Amino acid sequence: MTPNSATRDPATVTTVPTAAPVLRAEGLTKRFGSAVAVDGLDLAIHPGEVVGLLGPNGAGKTTTVKMLLGLTRPDEGTAWIHGIDAASPAARRGVGYLPEAFAQPAWATGEEVLRHHAALAGLRRDAWAEEVTRVIHRVGLAGRGHERVGGYSKGMRQRLGLAAALIGEPGVVVLDEPTSAMDPIGRKEVRDMVADLGRAGTAVLLNSHLLGEVEQMCDRVVVMDRGRVLTDRPVDHLPGGGEVRLTVDAVDADLLALVGGFGAVGHHDARTVLVTLDDADAAPEMVVALAAAGARVRAMVPLQSSLEELFLQLVHDRHPHDPAAGGRR
Amino acid sequence: MTVLLGALREAANRKVLPIGLVVSFGFVGLFWLGFATAFGRVTAETGDDFSQVAAATIMTVLGLYAVQFLAAFLAILLAAGSVAGELDSGRALAVLARPVARWSWLAQRGLAFGGLAVTYVSVMSVGVLVVAATVGGYGPLSATRAIALLALEMVVLVALGVALSTRLSTVASGVVVVALYGLAWLAGIMEFVGRAVDNPALERIGVVVSLVMPTDALWRGASFYLQPAAFLLAPDTGPGIPFAAVAPPSTALIIWAMGYVTVCAWVAAKSLGARDL
Repeated sequence: MTPNSATRDPATVTTVPTAAPVLRAEGLTKRFGSAVAVDGLDLAIHPGEVVGLLGPNGAGKTTTVKMLLGLTRPDEGTAWIHGIDAASPAARRGVGYLPEAFAQPAWATGEEVLRHHAALAGLRRDAWAEEVTRVIHRVGLAGRGHERVGGYSKGMRQRLGLAAALIGEPGVVVLDEPTSAMDPIGRKEVRDMVADLGRAGTAVLLNSHLLGEVEQMCDRVVVMDRGRVLTDRPVDHLPGGGEVRLTVDAVDADLLALVGGFGAVGHHDARTVLVTLDDADAAPEMVVALAAAGARVRAMVPLQSSLEELFLQLVHDRHPHDPAAGGRR
Repeated sequence: MTVLLGALREAANRKVLPIGLVVSFGFVGLFWLGFATAFGRVTAETGDDFSQVAAATIMTVLGLYAVQFLAAFLAILLAAGSVAGELDSGRALAVLARPVARWSWLAQRGLAFGGLAVTYVSVMSVGVLVVAATVGGYGPLSATRAIALLALEMVVLVALGVALSTRLSTVASGVVVVALYGLAWLAGIMEFVGRAVDNPALERIGVVVSLVMPTDALWRGASFYLQPAAFLLAPDTGPGIPFAAVAPPSTALIIWAMGYVTVCAWVAAKSLGARDL
């Protein structure tokens, strides 16, 4: 928890760990030239926890994941996996990782790729066949394992990457955008799979842009921006329903005052106001009142995901004059 | 071991091995055809024993020079892509997130590709020497020593290529190694010319370049053992065949080359260990 997140987010709730964290980072810092990619990040993930790592492009998510796995060397701070410094290969025993782009040799069959990973993971040779069959079934590639990866669709390659990450039943699974290439059915299957992993006591760190997905899958969310943690809190501590996004031709003080009468204004810019209504059914009345006051209402959208509101609020609050916030590199 | 076997499977599936085999058979076949034709003509036209020995020596040494050249490019291409290609494509990321030390991954890939280059140069050299022995009764001073020196040349190229490719892209690593290989070749020619016109300054340039890139010096060391005693001892061979040496390689050269490989391997492991993936 950075000092910054404490001031930004009074609702932050620190989970009380019941077991030692399997993945832990203290003060992780990484600079690329003069740019600070990750700035003093602290994180602890316990067995059975499914944690979502969120943030706009360039927030430092992938760099964080790579430092946690010992793939990128931090300038300051340390990461531990199962209590071992992540820089040591031994720490990566019992870790499954799906990189953002899981590149496999096109000439190999799916089963060959997985056997190679079973060997790399240190599994005994006589256990390879059974383990490969297990993970291939788990990710829905049963019957396709003997085909060459070159003939796989993007979604199938991603499933194969997931299968590789599950080999050897690792205690820690790190998934970087695990559903980016998948269709809705595939996404649902991945959600179920991640839920199963969590129930089985596996610690899962999920890096995703899909807020709804993170909200459904994760027990906890960590929101990052510009290398810092903005908030780290359980998903069930997210704000409740009643959030709407109001789009008008112009936001001014009078309009904000009027909207404020219906609920709490989260944040706003020149044309948009995010408001949490005191009465979730009062949206039509608010529109009528706004129209009567002369405001030109373009849209009023109930937010599907309370995480989305939190995310936008946190990231926008940090970049009040940056219209590109949230989509910037 | 897993990484090494994976790298060999990769070479087999990328058609490096089958294409290499076809090219090798083609090359040795062509050499046999050319050698048999030319040697037949020399035998028919001159009854002079030394002319026959000289013709066989020149053809064999130049044939093996071409073998060495082909093998060097194979070694450079394999080595340049061995690490950079994996890092660029992201394939290394999934493997190095496993409990595999980076130096071990590097060493296994280096051994696999170095092994392929050494096997290639050995098989091709044996092929050419067998043709020369069968058709022309050719007997080099020491085929074993010559092939060992050629193998060392391949190991130098692979070690340098692997070390560079821990930081540079595939193309950049390849370009640097080819440029150094070419520089060493040029220095070898200068040394030959220096010997022919008796200019020690030119010879010294060759020696200095050999320190930076010992590949051509190793080839010339090998070329000495590839020539038959009858040719080397003949009074009228002058400075010898271009690209070939008339004196055995010094022990210092061999030690230098081995040290060169060790330093390259050490730098490669340090460089990969420190970089961000």
